[in-house]
Amino acid sequence: MPSGVIPGKYFVQGDEAIAEGAIAAGCRFFAGYPITPSSETSETMARRLPEVGGVCLQMEDELASIHAVGAASVGGMKAMTISSGPGISLKLEGLGWGIKNEIPYVVADVQRAGPSNGVATRVGQGDFYTIRYGSAGGNHSIIALSPKSTQEAFDLTIDCFNLSEIFRCPVFLLTDETVGHTRELLVIPEEDELKVVKRFKPTVAPEKFVMYPLNTPGVINYPFPNIGEGYGICVSPYTHNSKGYASTAQDIQEKMARRLVLKVTENLDKLVRVESQKMEDAEFAVIAYGGNARPAVAAVDMAREQGMKVGFFRPIIVWPFPDADVLKVAEKVKNILVCELNIDGQLSREVARASKGKAEVFHFGSGGVEPHLPAQIFNEIRRFYK
Amino acid sequence: MSTVGETLNVLHPLVEKYLRKERMPHMACSGCGIGQVVHSVLLAIDELGLTPKDTVWVQGVGCSSRITYSTWVGDNVDAHHGRMFAVATGLKMARPDMNFICFTGDGDCGAIGGNHFIHACRRNLDVTAILFNNGIYGMTGGQVAPTSPVGAVTTTTPYGNIEDPFDMCQMAVAAGASYVARWRSTDFKALTNSLKKGIQTKGLAFIEVLLQCPTNFGRYVLKSSNPQDVLTWIKEHSVTQKEAEKLSKEELTGKYLIGEFVHRPERTGIVERYQEFLKTHQKY
Repeated sequence: MPSGVIPGKYFVQGDEAIAEGAIAAGCRFFAGYPITPSSETSETMARRLPEVGGVCLQMEDELASIHAVGAASVGGMKAMTISSGPGISLKLEGLGWGIKNEIPYVVADVQRAGPSNGVATRVGQGDFYTIRYGSAGGNHSIIALSPKSTQEAFDLTIDCFNLSEIFRCPVFLLTDETVGHTRELLVIPEEDELKVVKRFKPTVAPEKFVMYPLNTPGVINYPFPNIGEGYGICVSPYTHNSKGYASTAQDIQEKMARRLVLKVTENLDKLVRVESQKMEDAEFAVIAYGGNARPAVAAVDMAREQGMKVGFFRPIIVWPFPDADVLKVAEKVKNILVCELNIDGQLSREVARASKGKAEVFHFGSGGVEPHLPAQIFNEIRRFYK
Repeated sequence: MSTVGETLNVLHPLVEKYLRKERMPHMACSGCGIGQVVHSVLLAIDELGLTPKDTVWVQGVGCSSRITYSTWVGDNVDAHHGRMFAVATGLKMARPDMNFICFTGDGDCGAIGGNHFIHACRRNLDVTAILFNNGIYGMTGGQVAPTSPVGAVTTTTPYGNIEDPFDMCQMAVAAGASYVARWRSTDFKALTNSLKKGIQTKGLAFIEVLLQCPTNFGRYVLKSSNPQDVLTWIKEHSVTQKEAEKLSKEELTGKYLIGEFVHRPERTGIVERYQEFLKTHQKY
């Protein structure tokens, strides 16, 4: 079946690029609930998915949409949902079902200023920990990628779909209103230039297939048989044994929990996605992610013009947090300035943890609505640069 | 006298044919009505010739679901509490060629999953949903349900329930399901025929079954854990639609109506409509 990818140059918003990236990755099921600033993705999917023979549904709420997405993936369709802060809070209820049953799908979070409804139409970066720790019960890893541009929104959405198949888990695209609503150049390449991972399928007979590889917790690229393929799969909310049967045994709980964590933590080398600029001789680093990386890069350039040895570092993968790469930055510089759109200090807390005291970490936060201005970040650099 | 283990050596032929033997014995309490309903379901499946290859069992959370989950020899998909209809929507839209037999309870469908239930009826999703109504939260130990009768003493209504029960069949009719019926666990033949009719009807078939929960409904509401007492209570509190015609409004208060409420096979649902819609809009 042709994929329906339409190569070319487009002047579109990040939200639209997410939809095109999803279709290019083979997504054929989308269920959502309208919420600003993510609705443009739903609208693009509603127009584009029928063209490629896919299913696009607007569900009755966020809970229904994430559960329908997980179920459609169990049914054999690559699937995706999208939301923003208040909707993500609701989606977390369904996320656990996807995590526990190792269901591949993608959730995009276009962050806006919070808490609660906050400012619906304006940017914030407050969901950094929400998506990591929001699903109750712990005992799992999370993979989340964060784009800084329309082009990256497209590229990383494909990457998210691929990782969801490789790791058999829901994967987040953690973006924000700045990226979601920035209209800029998107280049969609020819279909054969795209790297798309197909769902891994069992090569052994149903009676020999192990649905949940609890005894080899680090295994990836593991098959996921869908319903109707003769494998008699069992998907449930309960702690499961290797067949998917509910269990209350402590050793089964232990094995399942280890599987859900270790499949990610034992394969960190497959997950390195970071960006560095001007770090070679840097004595001071600025760290930011998502849309707020853009003013941060501009501020670093301003500092360089003043002869200050300032570099820039960005985690493109925000979960699992790139500890080793941040530690390398901390070992190189004296001070790190973390710029993010929340007052409580989320990214900066992770940077401080990963730095292991090798550099002093300063949090430059804002409650959101506007991204940081390059001049504001430059002023902070001047304050702490020694 | 035989032990439980010896008894299990002789499985019902329908269990042999359709259920996973390693999942027996099931979790139902002694005297529970769920086994009777599952018997009807298996018989309907058998008589219609559905197979584990083309049929999936879907559940929510509660006695209805925990007891039936991962017993079907084909694929089993058990949702979070209340999300059965949302999960069934994703499954059916991904695999419109397969049959989905969905199990839910009165708390799962009428309380925490109420919104999904309404919208599955509105979309007229082509699945068969069986509501196990025992009038109480069984799995969690006898708390009041949206279906508990007025005055019911439960573990969370120690002074008696002051809320009216939810008639989910009326809701299903109003919201647009193609087929809606209510039976008692003792209406074996009528329930089996109704299930067959429901499975064959395009669109949502919603079939409620009033069933006995001696462990919780009996114990707390009726002050008797004898299944026979609960069955008698259900009998006394239900009338067929035909019997109801002769009764006054007062006489019908607090009574469950039994029978088929609607059968509109001509009403299309989201599955057919989406397939039609794709014929016009699919380009690639």
